Amino acid sequence: MSTLSEQGGVIYSRLIAREGDESTYELFIGPQHPASGHMRFIVRLEGDVIVSVDPDIGYVHRTMEKLAEGREVIKSIPLLERMTIIDSHNVTLGLVRAIEKLLDVEPPPRARYLRTLLSEINRIASHLYGMGIAGIMLNHSTMFMWAFGDREVWLQLAEELTGARLTHTYSIPGGVRRDLPQGFADKAEKAVRYMERRLKDYMAVFFENPQVRARYEGVGVLKKSEASRLGIVGPNLRASGIKYDARLAEDYAAYSELEFEVPTHEEGDAMARMLVRIEEIKQSMNIIRQILRKIPDGSILADKYVRLLPPPLREQVAKTGRVKFPGIFATLKLPEGDAVSRVEMGHGEIFYHVTGNGSTKPYRLRVVTPSFRNVILFRYLAPGHRFMDFPAIYGSLDYFPPEADR
Amino acid sequence: MSRQLASFKLHLRAVATGLKYLFLPNRITVYYPEEYIELPEGYRGLIRYYPDRCIQCGLCAMICPASAMKMYRTKTDRKGRPGINYQRCIFCGFCVDICPQNALETTKVHDVAYKSLEEMILPPEKFSQEPISPAVAGGARKLKPVFDEERGLRHERV
Repeated sequence: MSTLSEQGGVIYSRLIAREGDESTYELFIGPQHPASGHMRFIVRLEGDVIVSVDPDIGYVHRTMEKLAEGREVIKSIPLLERMTIIDSHNVTLGLVRAIEKLLDVEPPPRARYLRTLLSEINRIASHLYGMGIAGIMLNHSTMFMWAFGDREVWLQLAEELTGARLTHTYSIPGGVRRDLPQGFADKAEKAVRYMERRLKDYMAVFFENPQVRARYEGVGVLKKSEASRLGIVGPNLRASGIKYDARLAEDYAAYSELEFEVPTHEEGDAMARMLVRIEEIKQSMNIIRQILRKIPDGSILADKYVRLLPPPLREQVAKTGRVKFPGIFATLKLPEGDAVSRVEMGHGEIFYHVTGNGSTKPYRLRVVTPSFRNVILFRYLAPGHRFMDFPAIYGSLDYFPPEADR
Repeated sequence: MSRQLASFKLHLRAVATGLKYLFLPNRITVYYPEEYIELPEGYRGLIRYYPDRCIQCGLCAMICPASAMKMYRTKTDRKGRPGINYQRCIFCGFCVDICPQNALETTKVHDVAYKSLEEMILPPEKFSQEPISPAVAGGARKLKPVFDEERGLRHERV
């Protein structure tokens, strides 16, 4: 710890790692390791104290942005969904919004509410996934089993709404693909009540458990100034006391018509990051309740596209609540121009930039994912801590390698 | 001392919560293939093709994001009919949604384990047969997922 130099609140871990020095011990963790996998950390240790951590990313790089440029624009939705399979609606919503901006089409109000509904179900499932992984990193198998088991409740809800457990492919340009199924509100209410009860159990067994608190409190503190300097997003940013959320900053889906709070914490340590996620789950459940109360009636696909359907199909869509695509969807032409959009995922803000050049394929498609922006934290948070704190910090960041690598 | 006492209480509470679930476990395991979960209405499982409704427009093959669906053309039938490759299919259901004649429909069968790779490629003739679930054919018990305030998800026998 004595070798750490601190200047202006920044820990320059790289500078003090004396490479080749006998006193530093270099440890390669991964790319196959018992935590979330697909990435490597090069950790330098002095005794038991971490001197520096270099995240070595790119093991699951699949050139998604380039692949999307080589195919018709609607095909990029199921492709980019696979970036963050645990949060697949939030990850594609940004893309769909960017495409909508280029095509100049707005989803009808009911579609906007349905998008919000699935986004919040996804957010809860994503947070539960992150909490489960964080639990197993502390060898707390109970938390892992509970979070993954309870995630199943939300996946079941999403399955009944969209027809698929994870790869929902729900939002399309101009609306959504399915209407609310019969009896959904009742099931969602039961799921919410169950989760409220379970969160109390989570608190008792994990978050207020003195053993867990001892591992999390004061560990991996991210200062407010550091968080904003490094461009951190999502719950990791809010745990450092900065109230920033793309749901507030960007008016998308139905968020401007719903009431919710953006939970923040001042401490910025691993405990705060975990607690922010718990509070976000509560807020998401609150949003789901509001949506099911307030959801307006009407069409779920923009008139511009409904008009292109032959009359018998139009009647069928109205009756079954399942959208049929007009034939034009196979070859949607993106007009010349640029569109950007940002959306709040479970992990943080995702940013899309789509350029059209009048052809059926996007000329350029770029995405900045929240995990890619947060991965730098490994380098800044871990140095100075004992090695046993490394899994605690890793778990609290909710880092998802396939998302960062794209 | 009071801090230690408070900490001791929290320890006890954690252990008690764990014990509660040791005696009243919240299990959701389903013993497939002896049992199977009934998939909800509108589930996007294996796809069924109805050749008599098909107008051979080829939109399904055009929109397939995974190139799983392709038109099988013959000398006598130049427009072709769709066949599917389940090695590639991602079950997005775009082909079903774009079909203007409802000649493609999703089924609630989603048992996608096959004995050989060749079996996964379905030409139009095979594609137009009703997909069979080996579990159901083997007499598996049907379970229905039910939402429950106390237990989250329960699987009830139908």
